[in-house]
Amino acid sequence: MDVGPLKNLLLKGDPEFWAQLKTLTKSARDFEELFLLSSLRKKAHARHLAKPGSSAKPLRFALVGGYSLYPLHELIEHLCELENHPVELWQGDYDNYLSEIMDDDSGLYTFAPQVVFMLPAERRCTYTGHLTDARELQQAEAQRVVDGVLELARKVSEKTRAEIITTNFMLPARHDLGAFRSRTLGSDWAFRKWVNLELGLAAPAYLHICDWSFLAHRHGGLAARDERLWFESKQPCSPALLVELAREVTHLIRSFKHAPKKVLVLDLDNTLWGGVVADDGLDGIELGDTSPRGEAFKAFQKYIVSLKQRGVLLAVCSKNDLAKAQEPFQKHPEMVLRLDDLVSFKANWEPKSENIRAMAPELNLGLDSFVFVDDNPAEIEIVRQFAPEVTTILLGPDPSDYVAQLADCRLFEPRSLTSEDAERTNQYRSDAQRKSLAASVTDMASYLESLQMEAAISEFMPVDVPRLAQLINKSNQFNLTTHRRSEAEVSAVMKDKNFIGYSVRLKDRFGDHGLISIVIGEKSGDTMNIDTWLMSCRVLKRGVEEEVLNELVRLAKARHCQSLLGTYLPTPKNEMVRDFYGKMGFTLTTESETKREFELRLENFRPRPTKIKIFRRAYENL
Amino acid sequence: MNQAEVIAQMQTIFDTVFLEPVVLTPDISAKDVPEWDSLTHISLMVAVEKSFGVRFRVGEVENTKNVGEFADLILKRKQEP
Repeated sequence: MDVGPLKNLLLKGDPEFWAQLKTLTKSARDFEELFLLSSLRKKAHARHLAKPGSSAKPLRFALVGGYSLYPLHELIEHLCELENHPVELWQGDYDNYLSEIMDDDSGLYTFAPQVVFMLPAERRCTYTGHLTDARELQQAEAQRVVDGVLELARKVSEKTRAEIITTNFMLPARHDLGAFRSRTLGSDWAFRKWVNLELGLAAPAYLHICDWSFLAHRHGGLAARDERLWFESKQPCSPALLVELAREVTHLIRSFKHAPKKVLVLDLDNTLWGGVVADDGLDGIELGDTSPRGEAFKAFQKYIVSLKQRGVLLAVCSKNDLAKAQEPFQKHPEMVLRLDDLVSFKANWEPKSENIRAMAPELNLGLDSFVFVDDNPAEIEIVRQFAPEVTTILLGPDPSDYVAQLADCRLFEPRSLTSEDAERTNQYRSDAQRKSLAASVTDMASYLESLQMEAAISEFMPVDVPRLAQLINKSNQFNLTTHRRSEAEVSAVMKDKNFIGYSVRLKDRFGDHGLISIVIGEKSGDTMNIDTWLMSCRVLKRGVEEEVLNELVRLAKARHCQSLLGTYLPTPKNEMVRDFYGKMGFTLTTESETKREFELRLENFRPRPTKIKIFRRAYENL
Repeated sequence: MNQAEVIAQMQTIFDTVFLEPVVLTPDISAKDVPEWDSLTHISLMVAVEKSFGVRFRVGEVENTKNVGEFADLILKRKQEP
């Protein structure tokens, strides 16, 4: 890495420095490279080098643990700033995390962190008895380690409502104990594996695991450690792994506010199979177990189907004749992907950027939810230029690497996998069937009636928190205020008596839509302020909006409110609900560029009729 | 390799790490260079080990008083098989 040009930019005071710094930071793998970039960043700040673009408000980020947290803090600060998630740091002292967390008056709590990163000491994750002790004894001690970490997290959560990240424990990489190592829980190897497993499975929604054990495994066990640096300066691991750890934490912080991508758009020739189907014919393409290359393409398809099963929508975009492009899906015996796995199939001669642009409104999704993969650099380039919101992945050159390329892209990682993710393709597909039904029914009312819709309205419940936060953080279009909330913040709403929060689940004869609408209201005097009102666009104009309002009025009246206050905060994506409150019978009271406010007096409100059967209402079982 | 050659090679590493140029001499030490703090030190050590293909033993860098002694240590470690 040559930092000469970057230094010159800094010495000249050229703001181009920041763009260069970002590029170099992305490619830096070595500790000393990244560290050097970080020190140049700090020097640029010290010289007040102007930074173009708006900078986000820093997140208050606390670091505590059983290790020296220098220079880990430095790497995290650097990576977060360059990802546009700047952090304001607070570090605990070396190995002082127990008292920092348990003492109500500690500096940790004075700092009021929004994210707390804990690195519990590895040397406390070891069995203190004998290798041949009864398994029950060893297991009980391992459980105490797990409970200890969970207890620390619980305490932090109670005191701060922060998102909490904890590392788990690196495994040993020496031959010590030989084959016996895996025959007793008393070895560090087995003990820590058990602790890591239990910790991950038992972690509550507010606790995120930074899987250090995995990172070390990926990096290489021997290269993950540096005993000398432990003795000299209490470093948690080797400098190279420290970089991986910092990158992982940065990735986790980013994932708190950014939803994963939703759609994977696939090229066909030399992406899903070898060869060009229009030239080589159905029998000529390479796919399936008869050749190594064919096997690799088949394995890639299997991986893609596994993405679908965890909720990623699949689409095809190919420069092809439609009939020829679809033929392998219909007739090739080794095809794993089927036409009904796909929510959109574009095979034509239009530019791929235009085809992907056309998919977005069809699926009611923003272009920034799309990922496009192709083996052809020219196609990738045209999408990069003309649909820059789309994330692109250039496959190749070897199809045996395709799975690894997608598996390492970090774009489709669920924060917490909900069963509704896996249902999504079915939902989109039955949408298509529903649209064809709409064509056959003459008037809207009888169409809605024929859907046989049923809805359950429920106050926020702990079990729904992951799904609630997921929807709150990804809904863009039908979202009146676009207030984002983390899982911890959703839980806080649940506990606050001034707030009401409820969600709607909808079913119809074609399938279960799952949780599709969320409302958060805050009572202030005799007014109920609508903090959040959002809905999945898939169920637009089916009566859900009306039922949500009926419920809101019912709950507001039960809390002795006289009126509802609705706010619309415009974003580039929520134009569709600009006049929503007006259409729902609210009166516009104030209006500016950045905000529109509406009022609804409750005494005049009559519940709006719909075709939805409501079989449960919020807060009625309390 | 002699001490002067080692210091010349160290100079290129220091030139990369520090923004303000520092001319290394055998007598200079961390306290003479404002940018050479404990954080930068870790980074310098990693870079020096890579550049010279050596590995210091625990605690021994701390015991060197200036760049000259540090260069001698590098020489000593380089001469090991």
